[in-house]
Amino acid sequence: MTAKDLDGKIIANDTRHYHPQATTQRGSNVMVYGAQWKASYVRDTSLQPFQTKAETFEFLLPEGTRCADVEVTLRYELDNPKRIIPIHQRSKRVSLDRCP
Amino acid sequence: MKHWILGLAALMMIALPSQAVAALDGPKAKTIDELAAMFDASRCKGCHGEVYDQWSISHHARPQMGVHGGLKDTPLARAGATPWSPEHPSQATLDTFPCFKCHLPQALTHAEDSVAAEYAQALVDQDRAKIGKLQITCIVCHNNKAIIHRLQEGEPEPNVLYGTRNIPNHPDPVFTEIRQSPVMSEPLYCGQCHGVGVNLEFKNPVQCATIYGSYQHAYIPGGGTQSCQECHLYPKHNGVADHRMLPDWNDTELMSQRLAQSISLNMQAMGYEWLRGGGDRPSRLVVETKIDSSAGHRVPDG
Repeated sequence: MTAKDLDGKIIANDTRHYHPQATTQRGSNVMVYGAQWKASYVRDTSLQPFQTKAETFEFLLPEGTRCADVEVTLRYELDNPKRIIPIHQRSKRVSLDRCP
Repeated sequence: MKHWILGLAALMMIALPSQAVAALDGPKAKTIDELAAMFDASRCKGCHGEVYDQWSISHHARPQMGVHGGLKDTPLARAGATPWSPEHPSQATLDTFPCFKCHLPQALTHAEDSVAAEYAQALVDQDRAKIGKLQITCIVCHNNKAIIHRLQEGEPEPNVLYGTRNIPNHPDPVFTEIRQSPVMSEPLYCGQCHGVGVNLEFKNPVQCATIYGSYQHAYIPGGGTQSCQECHLYPKHNGVADHRMLPDWNDTELMSQRLAQSISLNMQAMGYEWLRGGGDRPSRLVVETKIDSSAGHRVPDG
């Protein structure tokens, strides 16, 4: 989620990650990747069947900022952060009174 | 003499087609080429062209390659990289690669340890051509993995392919009969490889796909009633299931569309002055999102 003022400057930014997270189950809570290392999930933030994933992002706007362009993107990261499959993008201009 | 030579040639011409196709009840494969030949399904294309073409671009046709051509087993072949890794590729055995359970199940039933050693060397050499010969072919799914209730239905027979119906005469030099396997339309069939949870039968635990477990423990309790096949092979076109069996993670554009169809995103956003009290009115930006998935399992898995 990214919010920018009308000059394009980023005024708010946040990311949520949805995926199962596993450790080796050898006594430390260190997340690992790779089938040869993973032994059990310790947390699972994946999108689940029949369950809505609801999120709230809340920020204080900078002094004097009355308008902001908000963009939310949902994407699938394949095997590393450089391999992205875009899914959805939503945009909206929000204002406290009137935007130009 | 001339007639004797012609007669011998005729006999060889009749014998050679079946000798050129390795039987499943013969000796185990000692090399990658032998294993690949034993499970080679290229002749299926002659009659099942559409299905074969779909399969050939699926992940089942490249189970050792990972996404975008990556050789996922490489760490297992490198000394010291994993608990499984041998000191030298020549020391690798079938036990070195627990991934074979699902990614190359035919190796566990029809290959010698020498195949694993050759595979390990190929990983070290990054030999994609050689590794690419190892595939989950028609014969793996329609014979090797086609029967699960073996106490009641016996072992897969070496000259039988299993499907959703009985066809007593199948024009193939090895698989002369098609027999119905009751499990092939059931989710359990896919669950053999697509994972319930951690695999504890190995000397070290291995956890790869757990998507069948998610199907069982999240989708079914949530009231889901569809099978894996209904989403990933059906609907049938001209009576034929889609053997591309999406997803295909190498096709970014297609997967972007497919994910967008099965996952929805709703966004609401507003800005307002919050009255904190005593004239303190900070401006707030609030963004709320709701994501829903129609998949029969968690997204992502693994």
